[in-house]
Amino acid sequence: MSKRIVIDPITRIEGHLRIDVEVEGGKVRDAWASGQMWRGIELILLGRDPRDAWLFTQRFCGVCTTVHAIASVRAVENALGMEIPLNAQLIRNLIVIAHAMHDHIVHFYHLSALDWVDVVSALQADTAKTAALAESLSPWPHNNRLQLEQVKSKLASFVAGGQLGIFTNGDWGHPAMKLPPEVNLLAVNHYLQALEYQRKVNQVVAILGSKTPNIQNVAVGGVANAINLDNQSTLNMEKLYKIKDILDEIGAFVQQVYLPDVCAVGALYADWLPYGPGVKNYLAVPDLPLDTKGTQFDLPGGTIFDGDLGNAKAISSFQDPYFKENVTENVTHAWYEGSGTLHPWDGETKPHYTEFQDDGKYSWVKAPRFQGKPMQVGPLSQVLVGYALGHEPTRKWANHALDTAGAVAKTKLSPAVLHSTLGRHLARAVRTAVICDLAQKHWELLVGNIAKGDTAIYNEPVFPKGEQRGFGFHEAPRGTLSHWVVIRDGKIANYQAVVPTTWNAGPRDDKGQKGPYEASLIGNPVADPERPLEVLRTIHSFDPCLACAIHTFDAEGKEISTVRTL
Amino acid sequence: MHRVAILGLGNVLMGDDALGPYAVRLFEAEYHVPDSATVQDLGTPGLDLVPHLADVHAVILLDTVRSAGTAGELRLYRRDEILEHPPQPRVSPHDPGLKEALLALAFSGQGPREVLLIGVIPQSTAQGIGLSAPVAAALPAVQAEIVRELERLGCPATRRAVPSSPDIWWER
Repeated sequence: MSKRIVIDPITRIEGHLRIDVEVEGGKVRDAWASGQMWRGIELILLGRDPRDAWLFTQRFCGVCTTVHAIASVRAVENALGMEIPLNAQLIRNLIVIAHAMHDHIVHFYHLSALDWVDVVSALQADTAKTAALAESLSPWPHNNRLQLEQVKSKLASFVAGGQLGIFTNGDWGHPAMKLPPEVNLLAVNHYLQALEYQRKVNQVVAILGSKTPNIQNVAVGGVANAINLDNQSTLNMEKLYKIKDILDEIGAFVQQVYLPDVCAVGALYADWLPYGPGVKNYLAVPDLPLDTKGTQFDLPGGTIFDGDLGNAKAISSFQDPYFKENVTENVTHAWYEGSGTLHPWDGETKPHYTEFQDDGKYSWVKAPRFQGKPMQVGPLSQVLVGYALGHEPTRKWANHALDTAGAVAKTKLSPAVLHSTLGRHLARAVRTAVICDLAQKHWELLVGNIAKGDTAIYNEPVFPKGEQRGFGFHEAPRGTLSHWVVIRDGKIANYQAVVPTTWNAGPRDDKGQKGPYEASLIGNPVADPERPLEVLRTIHSFDPCLACAIHTFDAEGKEISTVRTL
Repeated sequence: MHRVAILGLGNVLMGDDALGPYAVRLFEAEYHVPDSATVQDLGTPGLDLVPHLADVHAVILLDTVRSAGTAGELRLYRRDEILEHPPQPRVSPHDPGLKEALLALAFSGQGPREVLLIGVIPQSTAQGIGLSAPVAAALPAVQAEIVRELERLGCPATRRAVPSSPDIWWER
């Protein structure tokens, strides 16, 4: 008989991701992903000045602020057919780069590593063996025995004090936890170091964006960072060198710590490699534009269907009709009126709430489709599309990661293993390593361009009478983000954001095709229905982002996440 | 001098959840603080609170609070009260918040020693722009608590002779 498990975090008043799975014989037989919060925030933008839209879209979400600012200004610029100065592209690129580094480091160490790492087990680790293991994986200098002893005794004092603090809700001792104590200790060591590096890389966003979260420096038409290399109050050489130093340091951490850690964890959980593929259609858009128009990019974009890297097709510019014409959203199983499929420019946000109906409507998230197909987005799509299109940095780091993981697992790993839960983690680390290489390049491009005497940062937007339609995309850390704007007589007449988590967490569509979360859970193991850690592993591998619109401190500390077994 | 951070938390697009961002702007418009203090609206940062808490001696947080009582009432919490209950299981990266940031920093031996959360019970945090009347009416009391705490921390704010007009851009 099958058993229904509902993972329903009811934290912070309202709105979240709810996952329902039916489990039979220790495996998931069917799955539903449901967004529990009404996402009609776009309505707030109607009638506003398009030049202000980015200020509001940045507040859609707390953690992904920057990405909504970038996508919004690109959408309005696209509607006006604008180019922006090269400095503005490159300054935006450096912000995009720093934000992505930060996001991925936090995702692995602070938000998802504890799905795989048993912190309590680290207390059993032999520090000499741990140091030797670390040395075999990476030249990183901060893995020595002394440091490991310190981390271990710090952890011991936490546990002895009867409280695990930040680690309180880990699944310690769960039968699905398999890492040896030494790997667990190494991970705790790096958890602490990652806290430092995520803070550091945040400074780059703060220097360029004036503030983080919620950057202040972008504008429709460019950026607001005045450039004068000799002026203390503008973007100058001192600030640029500070940025370079930080990017170098983060690059070393990512390439010498984060990537090898993910390779080791993945290899030691090799029995998990078959789990979690789901939808094998992949979408990524190009990013890090190299010219004023957005026709050349350092990160490639495109589509792959049915997992066949041979059919990869590129998306090649900010204007590319291949993207513009093929994105739709269907609301058959979402809490909106009707069952229609609409292009985002014609998108509607008319709520129609029913209760949770397995065969009817069950989510506030719409079902985005590309040529009618569900698409997986995120680092795995970015890496597979890059790999398929022959993007050299992606191929280099993906091959390196597969070789490293293969050496630990004592087997040869091909890119096919990436279609999986663990593959999403590995791809995220690969993508971060690629971005670290490109950070150097984009810093040099910016400094080189300024050295030529170009200090332009802004082109004034002009809003003609009548209607203009635009779209702006950004390949955010979590995947393809697109904003779609209709401007009428200088005011916003429609605005829709198709966010990465909508692509991944969307419900079934009119043809009954499951969304990527739902499809990825089919066949997923569940050892203990009361502690469905394995379901969370697969969902966390996508880095979900739905739940951030409100911050309210919960004084009573009520149980705000529940797992119900029906 | 010890560093002090005054941080507004909340979403300006979600009704009374704008309390934190609103209150820090109002405070900056009416008061001048010593150089050792910083005043910021952080929106809904989740674990991104970490960099803003790591190096400070004291933090004053302005936020809405879920608590028994009527809308507009103030609730004050110190560090121990905030950490009294363990954090919850994580489903999305946005679930972690203030508790998790303080605990993660505690594990690495960092973070503020002095924490005061000035909370206001909201009437509505549904989507929409603008504070409800009871929450707006609580703003002077919130200001007074910030001033009192800064005084206690030896980092007193001074009232501006001519207050500037707060930049509540989302209500324009």
